[in-house]
Amino acid sequence: MTAEEQFNKVDEGEVITGRPFTVSRDTIQAFADASLDYNPLHFDDNYMKNKFGKTSFDGVIMHGMQNFALITRTLTDWLIPRGGFHRRLETRWLKPVQLGHTITPVVTLQSKKKTEKGYWLLFDVEVTNQDGMLVAMGNAMAEFIDIIPGKR
Amino acid sequence: MTILDLDNFETDFWKDVDKRATWDQIIPGELRDTTPVTLTKEVIARFAKGVGEDNPLYFDEEYAKTTIYGGIIAPPSIHILLMFACTTTEDWMRSPGTINAGQNWSYHVPIRPGDTITMRGTALDRFIRKDRLFAVHENSFTNQHGEIVCTGRGQTIRPA
Repeated sequence: MTAEEQFNKVDEGEVITGRPFTVSRDTIQAFADASLDYNPLHFDDNYMKNKFGKTSFDGVIMHGMQNFALITRTLTDWLIPRGGFHRRLETRWLKPVQLGHTITPVVTLQSKKKTEKGYWLLFDVEVTNQDGMLVAMGNAMAEFIDIIPGKR
Repeated sequence: MTILDLDNFETDFWKDVDKRATWDQIIPGELRDTTPVTLTKEVIARFAKGVGEDNPLYFDEEYAKTTIYGGIIAPPSIHILLMFACTTTEDWMRSPGTINAGQNWSYHVPIRPGDTITMRGTALDRFIRKDRLFAVHENSFTNQHGEIVCTGRGQTIRPA
């Protein structure tokens, strides 16, 4: 299938719900081992009793980039089988995510855009916690493309 | 070339804390000290597993050959690992209390097993808002062919 044909097969308004993710000390350790980010924010209960500027936290927090990785997975789980190429992700963290919290990314295909040379998909991203509160939001872009850049 | 060794990484982020630039010492535009690293198929598979990426595109060569990618690639989010893999223990992104406020990343050439990746990183800007110390960082990663892999901008709140 060409990029154009793949582009024509997806519909604006499609809502993609990612897999729910529950934070534990084990998931934090696994993410640290994968990312090499061993900041004490994610491990040290005593350290987290400190104030950080005007901010204080109720215990250790999940890595912000764990959220980024879960959003990426939600996008690529949907894109790869459809031949889509992940191009961009922008995120803002709104609330810290703590032990025992369950977060779920939801991505909406907000619009499709044909440019001079590309077939683009524009997504809105929201991540909510178990109480339905937004913990992160952002947007993403993907492209249907006939040849992946750099392919030899 | 240095093959990324995940098992001998310094996990104590308090080590060298006094050698790292604080917010006051960060000079916008100054390059961070970085080292290129080579990513093996095993490193890519381990990263994918660690972040819960179970698409076989990231570890199964037979499957990956049937896709538009033509072979195994790394998950796009692997820059999360490269940020620490390419920098030193004296890099200020390791400072305890560094709080991530948001990120945007743009992806171009996928990373493949055997690629050697070079990071170029700076703090583009720094500012104080609502009593918090912010740094804006810009990073780009290139492969051994000089092709852009991905570029990103992020904001962190710096420890006071």
